[in-house]
Amino acid sequence: MKLLKEEILNNEKYGENLYKMEIFSPYICRNAGAGQFISVKCSREKIFDPMLRRPFSIYDIEKEFNVFSILYLVKGRGTYLLSLLKKGDTVDFIGPLGNPIAFNMNSNDYLLIGGGIGIAPLYLITKVLTSEKKNVLFIAGFKNSNFAGIEKDLLKTKAYYKIFTEDGSYGNSGLATDFIKENINKYNKYQFYCCGPVDMLKALQEIFLGKKISATAIVEQRMACGIGACMGCAIGIKNEDGEIIYKRVCKDGPSFNIMEVIFD
Amino acid sequence: MTESNKPNLSVRLGEINLKNPIVMCSGTFANGLEYSNFYDISELGAITTKSYSLKCKDGNKPPRIWETACGVLNSIGLQNDGIESFINDHLPKIKDMNADIILSLFGESCEEFRELALAVKKIKTNILAVELNLSCPNVEKGGMIFCSMPEVVEKITISVKEILNIPVIVKLSPNTGDTIMIESAKRAKNGGAEAISLINTLVGTAVDIENIKPRLGNVLGGLSGPAIKPIALAKVYTLSNENILPMIGMGGICTWNDAVEFLLMGANAIGIGTANFVEYCVGLKIIKGVSDYLESKDIDDVNKIIGKLSNKQIIK
Ligand SMILES: Cc1cc2nc3c(=O)[nH]c(=O)nc-3n(C[C@H](O)[C@H](O)[C@H](O)COP(=O)(O)OP(=O)(O)OC[C@H]3O[C@@H](n4cnc5c(N)ncnc54)[C@H](O)[C@@H]3O)c2cc1C
Ligand SMILES: Cc1cc2nc3c(=O)[nH]c(=O)nc-3n(C[C@H](O)[C@H](O)[C@H](O)COP(=O)(O)O)c2cc1C
Ligand code: FES
Repeated sequence: MKLLKEEILNNEKYGENLYKMEIFSPYICRNAGAGQFISVKCSREKIFDPMLRRPFSIYDIEKEFNVFSILYLVKGRGTYLLSLLKKGDTVDFIGPLGNPIAFNMNSNDYLLIGGGIGIAPLYLITKVLTSEKKNVLFIAGFKNSNFAGIEKDLLKTKAYYKIFTEDGSYGNSGLATDFIKENINKYNKYQFYCCGPVDMLKALQEIFLGKKISATAIVEQRMACGIGACMGCAIGIKNEDGEIIYKRVCKDGPSFNIMEVIFD
Repeated sequence: MTESNKPNLSVRLGEINLKNPIVMCSGTFANGLEYSNFYDISELGAITTKSYSLKCKDGNKPPRIWETACGVLNSIGLQNDGIESFINDHLPKIKDMNADIILSLFGESCEEFRELALAVKKIKTNILAVELNLSCPNVEKGGMIFCSMPEVVEKITISVKEILNIPVIVKLSPNTGDTIMIESAKRAKNGGAEAISLINTLVGTAVDIENIKPRLGNVLGGLSGPAIKPIALAKVYTLSNENILPMIGMGGICTWNDAVEFLLMGANAIGIGTANFVEYCVGLKIIKGVSDYLESKDIDDVNKIIGKLSNKQIIK
């Protein structure tokens, strides 16, 4: 983990309020793994408003070019300020944060389920696994066609993918979780990686309940320091004895066994 | 100026000597380990540990953080591993970093403070001071109660001083009103305290109108950051005018300019909290900024600006 000020190579619009920012950073490309994130100071230099840094998953790493990227949705002030940055500007961030995913490479089949912007960390996971010649099925669920832009990235990998939209305007019509529910017996030997809104993760918990499925969720929580110092990003995790203990998403996560997470 | 032509930055708060007036606030710097990735934290005046209680504490239900205009609401609920774990697991690591340590303590009863003091008595490592967090607004039965009752402030201070040979700092809340704050500071002095830390967070909350629920799992939280700086500065000024005890002033300090404002208003040292979450090296930057400011004004000693704008008499 290092504090960095690096050059933006591209801040491309991927959809309505959706951007992919490419950042030149040999350090991140050398040191970051799938599932990790960075935390960006979105306010200008010497200005503390908005106050806190914003966490973003690492979307892609292109080692050969020393470039990594984040995919982000404009939600509030911080992401709005990010969207204004241009090629050649610098971005102040710290990373890589959190733990890289420890893949179980004994398995051959992997199912990735992303909802909305939750697809962000799953893309790098897809790349890592397909480069290891693993069989990857990427299921993505969106409200509408706004995320269509990511298909060109998915096409670059050897993953199979299925896109669902709630309004049917793109890909298959319906909910990604309904597809999983209907087909769960087909995939119960797969390793699952899931990221998305709380309602989606809760629905998956229900689907997986009582089944011997190994599933990892990459979760979000409001953060202050991002480095494990403030205990702000706590999330309830059920331990083996059924007790709920608080873990830090930034330092102990952001990936957890989905069945152990308490989503409030 | 000193030999190196740099202004003197060392300050005294009663028996507490600091190599410079820049202190890290409790709960915002953990035990320094995370921050030692970025710089040599032994350069700081001191670091204040997170507040420790006798037994480990789980803390409050998430979410615990909500950002506000120029500030942050938190409801951590004093999550900590307990004093024994501090002594056995954390302290040896902090010792390796050579930082000067202020150990923050928190209890739910006068008796717990006494037992904490007994536990701290066993510590062999040199501790600069203990800070009694008598002001945390987050915990149900916690801090708020203690420092809104000046006689209890005195009682706790006495009971800790009876056991410990280490200087005691009492941390006060801005939530009690000035009369009680001043009275508590006086009682802390009667009880044998060496200094006052001021201010802890202001009680606040926020609402999610879309889902019709509070933003914080605990509903109420503590507000910190630049939003509270004018209030913190006024509290420091008010208490400084009373000339009771030396003070560590804190609340919203993000830059060296902020720090100088607190010193001028009567703080003998300043604490940095929330800014650590954003600018990980802010402590070092502020030390340098204060030093450069003094140099630019041809002032050879930081003590010459302390309380310049209040009726403070430098307490030796
Ligand atoms: C580990 C992690 C990885 C993330 N990865 C991505 C990503 O790849 N792409 C992406 O678009 N978003 C991602 N998010 C969510 C992203 O951090 C928020 O959308 C962003 O912080 C919103 O900032 P804002 O100023 O625009 O919104 P505001 O609503 O104005 O932000 C106010 C405060 O709330 C926090 N906040 C708001 N939404 C979230 C959220 N969903 N999770 C955590 N904190 C939040 C902000 O950080 C800020 O402190 C991730 C969150 C976490 C915790
Ligand atoms: C996340 C967080 C945790 C805190 N925890 C403690 C604590 O454990 N004990 C304590 O005395 N003060 C605690 N505080 C209060 C700070 O030490 C400080 O008094 C206050 O935040 C004002 O300073 P600031 O505006 O620079 O943050 C905490 C503050 C924050 C933001
Ligand atoms: S955000 Fe501070 S501990 Fe995770």
